[in-house]
Amino acid sequence: METLMVDRIHSSLRLFMHRNAIFLCERLCAEFPSELNLQLLATCYLHNNQAYCAYHILKGTKLPQSRYLFAVSCFQMNLLSEAESALCPPNEPNSEVPNGAAGHYLLGLIYSYTGRRLAAVDHFMQALVVDPLFWAAYEELCILGSAEEANECFNDAAAIRVQQQYSAESSLQKLNLANDNGVLPSNLGDTSPRKSKQLYCNNTRDIPAHPYGMATSALQQGNSMPSSVAQYDTPSPTVTQLSGVVPPPLCRNAQIYLNAMGGEVTTRLNVNAANQVPRRKYVDEAKLRKVSGRLFSDSGPRRSTRLSGEATANTNLNVSQVGGNGVNHSSARFLGGYSTSSSSKMSSAAQRSVTVRKGQTLSTENFDEGRRHEVFDDLLRLDNTATTSSAASNVADGRWPAQDRSGGILAQDSRLMDGIRDLLGLLRTLGEAFRLSCLYRCQDALQVYSKLSEKQFNTGWVLSQVGKAHFELVDHFESDRYFELARRLSPYTLEGMDIYSTVLYHLKEEMKLSYLAQELISVDRLSPQAWCAVGNCYALQKDHETALKTFQRAVHLDPRFAYAHTLCGHEYVALEDFENGIKSYQSALQVDERHYNSWYGLGVLYLRQEKFEFAEHHFRRALHINPRSSVLMCYLGMALHALKRNGDALEMMVQAISADRKNPLPMYQKAQILLSLERYEEALEELEHLIAFAPRESSVYALMGNIYKQLNIHDKAMFYFGLALDLKPPAADVAMIKSAMEKLYLPDELEGDL
Amino acid sequence: MATESEGEEETAAAGVGGKLTGSPQLAVDGGDLREMAKKAAWSVSSCKPGNGVVALRDDNLDTYWQSDGAQPHLVNIQFQRKLKLQLVVLYVDFKLDESYTPSKISVRAGDSFHNLKEIKTVELVKPVGWVHISLSGTDPRCVFSPSAYSETFIHTFMLQLAILSNHLNGRDTHVRQIKIFGPRPNPVPRQPFHFTSREFITYSTLR
Repeated sequence: METLMVDRIHSSLRLFMHRNAIFLCERLCAEFPSELNLQLLATCYLHNNQAYCAYHILKGTKLPQSRYLFAVSCFQMNLLSEAESALCPPNEPNSEVPNGAAGHYLLGLIYSYTGRRLAAVDHFMQALVVDPLFWAAYEELCILGSAEEANECFNDAAAIRVQQQYSAESSLQKLNLANDNGVLPSNLGDTSPRKSKQLYCNNTRDIPAHPYGMATSALQQGNSMPSSVAQYDTPSPTVTQLSGVVPPPLCRNAQIYLNAMGGEVTTRLNVNAANQVPRRKYVDEAKLRKVSGRLFSDSGPRRSTRLSGEATANTNLNVSQVGGNGVNHSSARFLGGYSTSSSSKMSSAAQRSVTVRKGQTLSTENFDEGRRHEVFDDLLRLDNTATTSSAASNVADGRWPAQDRSGGILAQDSRLMDGIRDLLGLLRTLGEAFRLSCLYRCQDALQVYSKLSEKQFNTGWVLSQVGKAHFELVDHFESDRYFELARRLSPYTLEGMDIYSTVLYHLKEEMKLSYLAQELISVDRLSPQAWCAVGNCYALQKDHETALKTFQRAVHLDPRFAYAHTLCGHEYVALEDFENGIKSYQSALQVDERHYNSWYGLGVLYLRQEKFEFAEHHFRRALHINPRSSVLMCYLGMALHALKRNGDALEMMVQAISADRKNPLPMYQKAQILLSLERYEEALEELEHLIAFAPRESSVYALMGNIYKQLNIHDKAMFYFGLALDLKPPAADVAMIKSAMEKLYLPDELEGDL
Repeated sequence: MATESEGEEETAAAGVGGKLTGSPQLAVDGGDLREMAKKAAWSVSSCKPGNGVVALRDDNLDTYWQSDGAQPHLVNIQFQRKLKLQLVVLYVDFKLDESYTPSKISVRAGDSFHNLKEIKTVELVKPVGWVHISLSGTDPRCVFSPSAYSETFIHTFMLQLAILSNHLNGRDTHVRQIKIFGPRPNPVPRQPFHFTSREFITYSTLR
């Protein structure tokens, strides 16, 4: 009955029937209380967004997978310290982080949210080491500003690691598959091959996934293997962590399992279960014992290796079971695996899917299936056991098929390697581009992005990133273009749309901006990006109070979204509420220290308050993060000028001018500084240049008028003041210019009157 | 600039206000001007319970302040610091308020209560809607004749609106809303002039 229930639960989860799954699972836990069943129940709750339930039932559990699920629940409930101690128990400093890469990633996130940046970096790096295809970890490293070059992380050594992980699994799989050669191609379920072998089919899922069967101690590495599966193909890290994909495989496994249970060792591959059952037992052990050896050793030893490899992982779970017993155990395993795996499974799944994507081999198809199964599996144990079991069964079935298989396995191996290499290549390009854009080396980033294949480039994520890069280069038109493309290709994506709304704000495109805001709200009313867009709409209309309220709403929706805090700060400053502005900017910096807009905002605020040293300090920090921004250089120069350090200020302006030729502001500021130094001729020269750039800028003419007034060249002064007035500056400027003009004539009038 | 129904009211030079009738729209150029008195201290010389000073600032044209004492009725607005002010706008309605509608209003400015000086007087004739009272050219420190030297703003710590008389010789007065406008600050700090062209504005701030 237990297996039956487990199977139904998995199938419900796979089909997203959460209420059904939860109910059945609760009955299961009541009937057969065990920690693995608890894990399954927790997984059901997590799928149904009931992290608090999972939290309560898993409190105090000790198994690694339980601790991992508990940590995930705590994380979702924002109980970061509990999550941390679950993953990294304080009284067991050397215990291994459960679920390998995913566990490290989760820990990294916790550390970065609680401000322990170095520890976070360390854990993300470890996650990458364990699973080189773990994109999300690399992404976080880039955001923290400590990513190594993509070439280092996604290089050949990584390829070999990935391959090893897969081969461990695949070798088992291959063994299983070997039993039925047809398995590979037909084995859609990938589970089937595995399952066919035995009751421990659960693990077989893994095996099919990696037909490549490179024997390694992979089974043991099961953790790493699955975790290494790139989360790349899942949209977000959390998803992978939650092993969103889990349900389908489980169901499938369950099915196969059931089939097997039904006494027919059939998986689609037609395994003779009967034979296997007895052999399974020690085959598993054999597998467990040896871990590697694949291709070139004979299948027997190979299998045993794998078996031992797996066995180690699954020993506690499966090995003992045989036949009927096994069923129970398997189900337990099954469950356990289900609950634990997510990350690992996902990774393997991802890997598989990657290979599928690459369309390398038939096996990749299997991979796909296998992947799904894997996703559910318990990272190590199940995988291992499954593989072991399947391997075992394979072994049991006969040596010679295995031999045949080895040939096939070899081929698969090379295809696997190719697939891994291709995926790593893709991740390398994307990783390097992302890292460069996080370092604000936008030109370089754009170059790297252009190296992508067309189909990869024309995706929402890449186009958004390209748009963002153009925005950082203050090229708003190009940015608008790319963001528009991105929206057309994936109108439901919200990431990066806050930047797009800022681009439209700069371009003063009211219509487009309000349209964007409305669309984003209709996609997801609870996303901070949508409300940032709405807020930018109001800000564009100068309705700062409403804009502020909207940005505050965005902050409430997600306090970890730094940009919302920064925008709040901007609005406070516009309303001249400097205290709250400082608070908002500092909250933004607490979330993300590398958010240079906040440093800039603080600098401007202090400029207004005439606290010039503070202003200089903050502009320097901003410049440190984004050293290429000419606007930042210009502002730093303004702060230096206010501090009367005119030499430095002039230098800064020159730097700003060369950083971006299209930016007219540094030239204008330089002219102002020169004017204050009474170097009138040079100032006039700068302004003359500027007229070529921006012929309709009233302030340029007004400044020239001022200079000529100082030089007592009244006719020219009048001429330029007149030009300035013609360009319709706002009332305050009109008043000032007119009064300056009056003062020009006064002496003459008086003289004239006499 | 503010689009105002000033034409009817203002003669170019004279510091004396003309006849104002008000307009239904609060047509103020939001780009150039912003409301300045949100953080100011508002007080009135007298009020009927339930129709206090709050009604002047609640953005609700149905609620009104009703005075309850001797004329002149005063509305005092004290700012936290010296501000540039350009325009006073008040909403009155002869059709609804008849004898409670103000007819002669004097605008005074200064540092505080003992320092106020009248800068403008306006006469209203059966006004319905928003009445714009421009403060341009009314700076008491303006030495030259207004035609030669127009000061767009007045710089002051305090503003006082004195309602000297009402229509039909009413004793008490109703005012439904008052807003005070001044120039927007330059978004780029420490600049003498605003930027007008797109090239400058694009690069002038980060967001």
